[in-house]
Amino acid sequence: MADYTAVKTFDYKGLPCPMPIVKMSQEISRIAVGEVGEVLSTDPGSIADFPAWAKTTGHQVLDIVQEPGLIKIYVKRVK
Amino acid sequence: MALLSMLSMIPFALNAATAETLAADAAQVVDAVAEASVVAEPTGFGIVLDKIEYFILIPWVYLSIAFMIFGIIYRLVSIYRAPKTPFSLKIYSSKKESPLSAWNDTFMLPQVRRNKPFFWISLMIFHISGVLLILGHLDILPTISILSEDSKHMIGAGLVGVGFTLPLFHFLFRRFKTPIREITVPADFLLIVLVLFLALFGDMISWGNSWTANGFITTKQKFAEYFQALATFNFENPRYYIWSPHYHFLVIHVALANLFFMLVPFSKIVHAFFAMPINKLRRK
Amino acid sequence: MDLQQQYELEKLFKTKLHQAMRFYLETCTHCGLCVDSCHVYNSMPELRYTAVGRSEVVRKIFIKYFKMQGKIAPWLGETMEMDEFVLDKFYEAAFSCTGCRRCMVHCPFGIDTQQIMSIAKLLLVGADKEPKILSMLSDMSINKGEQVEESRAQYAEAIKNIEPEVEAIWPTPPGKKTIPLEVEHADVLYVALSGKHSIISAAAIFNAADINWTLSSFEAVNFGAFLGDPQRTKKIGNRIIAEATRLKVKTVAIVECGTAFRIMKQQFGKLPFEVVTFVELIAKYHQEGKIKLNKVMTEKVTYHDPCQIARNAGVYEAPRYILNQLSDDFVDMIPNREENWCCGGGGGLVAAGDFEFRMKSSKVKADQMKKTGATVVATACENCHSQLHDVCGYYNTNQHVEFISHLAAQGLAK
Repeated sequence: MADYTAVKTFDYKGLPCPMPIVKMSQEISRIAVGEVGEVLSTDPGSIADFPAWAKTTGHQVLDIVQEPGLIKIYVKRVK
Repeated sequence: MALLSMLSMIPFALNAATAETLAADAAQVVDAVAEASVVAEPTGFGIVLDKIEYFILIPWVYLSIAFMIFGIIYRLVSIYRAPKTPFSLKIYSSKKESPLSAWNDTFMLPQVRRNKPFFWISLMIFHISGVLLILGHLDILPTISILSEDSKHMIGAGLVGVGFTLPLFHFLFRRFKTPIREITVPADFLLIVLVLFLALFGDMISWGNSWTANGFITTKQKFAEYFQALATFNFENPRYYIWSPHYHFLVIHVALANLFFMLVPFSKIVHAFFAMPINKLRRK
Repeated sequence: MDLQQQYELEKLFKTKLHQAMRFYLETCTHCGLCVDSCHVYNSMPELRYTAVGRSEVVRKIFIKYFKMQGKIAPWLGETMEMDEFVLDKFYEAAFSCTGCRRCMVHCPFGIDTQQIMSIAKLLLVGADKEPKILSMLSDMSINKGEQVEESRAQYAEAIKNIEPEVEAIWPTPPGKKTIPLEVEHADVLYVALSGKHSIISAAAIFNAADINWTLSSFEAVNFGAFLGDPQRTKKIGNRIIAEATRLKVKTVAIVECGTAFRIMKQQFGKLPFEVVTFVELIAKYHQEGKIKLNKVMTEKVTYHDPCQIARNAGVYEAPRYILNQLSDDFVDMIPNREENWCCGGGGGLVAAGDFEFRMKSSKVKADQMKKTGATVVATACENCHSQLHDVCGYYNTNQHVEFISHLAAQGLAK
């Protein structure tokens, strides 16, 4: 089991391009620095998008969990 | 003093002329004015004026035309020396395109015709008249005969000039109205005003020529002498062979034309040379 | 703004002065024929929202810093000094322009406002005043290109997870993968977007036509172009070119995304593969008899020509052909094709623009759509789709927006 708990869920299922990343950039400030958010996505592209976003913005992707029809991405706000 | 004496000559000349042709109609009276005029040797301020007028009619014409030609070459060379555009900027027409599409865009302005028909008519009349005006001026040269050499008319007998002038009023007045008013800069007004005055003086000359036997200023045949002198680099003072009481109007017309020539490469008139290459960008 | 920064911006400006740009900056006669071309001006009649209004801001700086006139008689052209105020004007001009190039059709010279705006955008990047969301998205795309190997296995799993949704539309031909990845010598490399909606319908159509295709690891959209940064644009596009070259594919089919298609087709010069938009392939497969389409649509349908696919890349008839296979009740918008009104969301506005502005500037679009009387608005661009969806809601047009590929996938027949 992972050593973190998501304090907030961001539901980005079924959004058009590039909204998941745009929304993430805007909404990351809804959690405190050091906290972890859970992103729900249906986009296969999110698998690479979120780590690339994290590298660009200095945040951290802790884990990506896949279920049929759903991708869960755990994002830690670093700054 | 000389100017005054020149001006004061006119009524005498008129008197003499009317005395001789008492039964003649008005046109003939005016013809006689030109015939009866004599070249007076300038004195006093007239000497300075004569020198200025000579400079305008002969050396400045050469200088301004040379300036124009070098200016246009300079502008084109400076653009073509810039790095090549590394990608296509084509716009795709839904209609069939041919290699002539860019020519059609440049000379027929099909989009303007469709969207702004009234402005299109104005633009077309203006530009066609502009081309005819160039031809009309070349026609004055004895070596170029579009109309017969002894015709007293310029091409269009004054109508071409009107075709050039009326759209200019349209171009000027539409600049007073929103939203064109807001996109207009001082250079736009100044240029239109310059060309408008140039055209109005030209109209006066060409209409006068059409209405009277000896022309408003002088006959087309006399102008031909002036043009021939320019073409053969004969630096004689034109005052002595095309003198008429309205000589100064010709000088003003030529002065405005010289200014115009000099502005061609360095004002938006340069679009005359850029329109084709820039239109090609849209089609290739 | 200090002299050093002015000098740096002037240098940046100079990098944009290629031949075509020089013609564009030096030819305008202020005739005003472009004024009515802009959908923004037609919805909100203000001079700053016209092609000439936008270009003049850049042109005045050009005359000031690069022309004799600006040095000896700046008042003639009312030139401006490069300062913070001008940069704000640049922002207002460049990011109220969707780069649809409708004005270019109407300009008697064909001046490309989008190109002129690319100067404003580049200078904003240089002054660190660009919309941060666009530079972030661009950098994200570039980073994605650099670390694509790290996520390859997980990406394959995500793709596997959506395969049942493809198979629900069309059974995969025997011996083939539903969504093939990394296939060398494939006939078609399909470059989608992040969303699964951009993959599922296309995959079903490829499989119905029994094509040897493969899915790209990247998203097609080029945020660098929205941002107006040529270097980032190149890096983002090169990811796909490198992938296509490595896999030695014959054709690169771009998802329904206008920018992605036009940038790849026009801005990268000659490429060792053919670039098409996916809509062209659907029409081609139907014409070749590889797929059959039923007239499944019962509602009246119209088509929105995406600027970057139609006017700027020449694809007019393929989408209309497909819609006529799917429906007996297709009606064109007026105006259409190269005269069509922009959706109002191009040029990065959907990602970075202010929602109210996007909606208000699209009033003319809403009116145009309503007039068709259609209930379905089909289009072939993700950006247009998002924007028109919002416009339909904002203006209560009672219409819904659909992708051509989705409609075609629904109409697939044996």
